[in-house]
Amino acid sequence: MSIYQGTALRVNLTNGEIHRDRTPENGIGGRTWNSVTLLRELEAGVDPLGPENLLCFAVGPLTGSKLSATCRFIVSAKSPLTGILGDSGARGFFGPELRWAGIDQIVFSGASESWVYLYIDDDRVELRDASHLAGLDITDTTVRLMDELGDPDLQVATIGPAGENLVKYAIISCNLSRAAGRTGMGAVMGSKKLKAVAVRGSRPVCPVDPQRFDKACDDLMAATEAHRQFESRRLYGTTRIMDSLADYGVLPAYHYRSAVFDDLAKVNAEALRRDHVVKSKACYNCTVYCSRYNVTSYSEGEGPEYEAQAGFTVKCGSSDMELGVHVSNLVNRLGLDCISTGEVIAWLMECRHEGVITDDDCDGIDLSWGSKEALLRLPELIAAREGIGNLLAEGTRLAAKEFGTEARALTSEVKGLELFSADPRGIKGYGLMNAVNSRGGDHYRGEPMIELTGDEELALRRVGNRNAAHRLSEEGKGALVDYAEHMGLLSDSMTICKNISCCMDVVDFDLAADAYSGLLGEDITAHDLWKVCSHVSQVERDFNMREGLRPADDTLPERFRGKPIPDGPAKGTVIDIDRLVKDYYAVKGWEE
Amino acid sequence: MCEVVCSAGHFGGVSPALARIRVAKLDEIGIDLAIACLGCAEKPCLECPTEALSVGPTGEIVLDGDYCDGCGLCFEACPVGAVGFYDGQPLFCDLCDGAPSCVEICPTGALSNVVGAETSLASFLDSQGTPAQKRARFAKVKAEPLREEWAAGRRVDA
Repeated sequence: MSIYQGTALRVNLTNGEIHRDRTPENGIGGRTWNSVTLLRELEAGVDPLGPENLLCFAVGPLTGSKLSATCRFIVSAKSPLTGILGDSGARGFFGPELRWAGIDQIVFSGASESWVYLYIDDDRVELRDASHLAGLDITDTTVRLMDELGDPDLQVATIGPAGENLVKYAIISCNLSRAAGRTGMGAVMGSKKLKAVAVRGSRPVCPVDPQRFDKACDDLMAATEAHRQFESRRLYGTTRIMDSLADYGVLPAYHYRSAVFDDLAKVNAEALRRDHVVKSKACYNCTVYCSRYNVTSYSEGEGPEYEAQAGFTVKCGSSDMELGVHVSNLVNRLGLDCISTGEVIAWLMECRHEGVITDDDCDGIDLSWGSKEALLRLPELIAAREGIGNLLAEGTRLAAKEFGTEARALTSEVKGLELFSADPRGIKGYGLMNAVNSRGGDHYRGEPMIELTGDEELALRRVGNRNAAHRLSEEGKGALVDYAEHMGLLSDSMTICKNISCCMDVVDFDLAADAYSGLLGEDITAHDLWKVCSHVSQVERDFNMREGLRPADDTLPERFRGKPIPDGPAKGTVIDIDRLVKDYYAVKGWEE
Repeated sequence: MCEVVCSAGHFGGVSPALARIRVAKLDEIGIDLAIACLGCAEKPCLECPTEALSVGPTGEIVLDGDYCDGCGLCFEACPVGAVGFYDGQPLFCDLCDGAPSCVEICPTGALSNVVGAETSLASFLDSQGTPAQKRARFAKVKAEPLREEWAAGRRVDA
C-alpha cells in the first residue's frame, strides 16, 4: 500500500549532477523515507565520513500545512559518532520552506572537492560555490547568505566550524539555533563539503479534503491549548522540567554523583526567565511559542532548552546561570550538539575529581567543578579540533579509550551517543528508551513522558497498564517504550514537534490518521500508520544489526548498572536494565 | 500563525507567499515583526497605471482585478513591503470584512485592527530593495527601542 510518495532531489556532490526522483513508497514522510533509503542504498560497513555515505534531508506531506507545529525536517545518515543509524530533526522554519518548494526529500551522495551550498528557489536548484563561507559560524553563514542573495526571508540550514572540522557530534542548524543536533549529522555534511542548504518556496500545501483536515487541525489546537502544561511551556519551554527532575531525585548534579544541587534556585527555569529572557520565540505555526530569546553580558541568542541549561550548569557543578546561557549560545554558533558537549565537559570534570586525569592531560585547563575556563575554552577547542579538542571531538566513547578504563567507567553513553541530563535509574521508561532505541543513548526518540506526569488513565489507554505511569515501577515499561517509539517515529514522519505530540501527548494515531486522510484525500487508518511505523522500526533494527550491533549493546552505561542513586528523594533506587530490555524484546518479538 | 490563517483563509492552502501579512524574522537580533498594510497616510501603492486600486470604507486597499495588468508597481512601491504578489496579481490585506483572522489567531495578542490611524511612513519612503528587504528594514528600525530596553537590563518579568 502506498500512502504517499513525494518528490526526492538526488544531489551527487562528486560530479554536481542533480535530478528529481521519488521518495520510497510505503512511507509516511520524514524519518520513514530516510531510514528506508539508508537500508536500501548503503553498503554495510561504509565509512560514515566517506563519500559513500548518504546524507538525507526529509520533510513530509504534513510539513508546512495548517496542522500545528509541523515545522521539522529530519536529517539521516550513518552516524560517525555511533557507527549505526544516525538521524536528528530540527524545528524552526526550514522544513516548511522546503515543502513549499515542492521537495519532500533530498539525498546527497558523494563528496565535493571544494565547499559548496545548495540553493533552491522553487523549481530552480543549483549547487553554488561556498568557499567564502568556510570557517564562518552558524550565525555568520546564515546572515551572509541572506545578505548576498538579498533575501532576508531565505531559510538556511548550515554547519558551523564543528561540522567543517568533522567533530563527531556536530550539528546542522536552521534559524541560527534550531538544530538537528544528535548523532553528528553536521560532520557527515562537512565530510561532503556541503556548507549549507538555502531554500525559498512558494507553493501552498492544500488539503484535498479540507473539512476533515481542518477538523484535525482544530482538534489539535484545542487539545494543546487546554493542556495543563500549556502555560508553563509558554513561559519556560523545556526548562520547566529542572525543578521536577530535582523533586523526582534524578538531577545529574556533578555528573550524576548527586541528585541534589544546593544552588538549584540560581539555575532553574525561574532564574533563567527572571535574569535573561527578554522575549518569547516560536517555531512555524505553533501556539505554544515555548522558545525564548536571551540576553547576557557575554552574548545573546535563542534558548537554552533544558539540556543546554542543565548540561552547562548542574551537570558541571556550576551555579553560574549567565555563563551557562552564554555557553549555550556559543555551542549553537560553533555548531556543536549541546547534549554531547555538556556531557564531554562534565565527564572530564568528574575524571579530574576522581584523580583519573589531571588538568595537564587537558592542555592545562582548570577542570575543577564549575570551572569557567573549561566551559568557555573547551567548546572552542573541540570545534576547532585544537589541542585536547581534537581527541574530545571524537566523543566520550573514543576519548575514554585514550584516558583508560577508569575514565571509561565514568562515561555516560549508549552505543557511543551521550545520554541526556537526567539519571535513568529513577525514570525507568526513559532508562529503557536510552538502552534500546535505534540511534543510541537518547531520550527524545520517543518520550515515555507518561511516567513523569504519572497519568494512570493515559497509561491504561496507551499501553493497557496503569503501573506504566509510575516512574519507579519496572512494570509495563517494554510496552510503554514500544508505544513511545511508534509515537516518536510517527512524529518524525509528520515532522511535528515532539514536545507537543509526544510530551504533551495531544497527538495519537487516530488524530494523525485524520490529518493524513484529510490532507491527501485518501482513507488512511490509524492501523495503517501504526503498521508503517512498526515496519520502519524493524528496518532501523535491521540496519543497525547489519552494522554489527548486538543485543548486548542494548544496555545502560556501567555506572548506572547495579548501583543505587546515591542521595536525594530517590536515594537507593536501582534499575534492572536486563529485565526491562527482556520485557521490551518480548513486546517486539525479538530474540535475546 | 498569522501567515498560515491568512493564506489558508483566502486560498485554502498554506504558504506565506500567498499571505497578505508577512513576518519579518531577524533571528540574529531576536526580532519578529508581522507586517500587513498599515493604511499609511502616503499610500504610494495608489500610483497605479491602470487605476485598479482604490481605498475601501475601512481604509483597506481594494483591487479591481478587471483593471489590474499585474505590472507589480504597487508591490514595489510599498515602503514596508506589505503588498504580496502571487500568480500575477498583487495581494492586499482586505481586513477579512472587518474581523481579521490574523488578529483573532495571534496567540500573543501582538496584532490589533486599528481603523483610521493613518500612520505616516514618510521616513521609510526611501527604503530600497525587494519587499522582503523593506520589511526587514522596517522591523529593524521598529525594534530599536525594544533592543535599547534589553540593553538597559529589562527582562520579561521586570
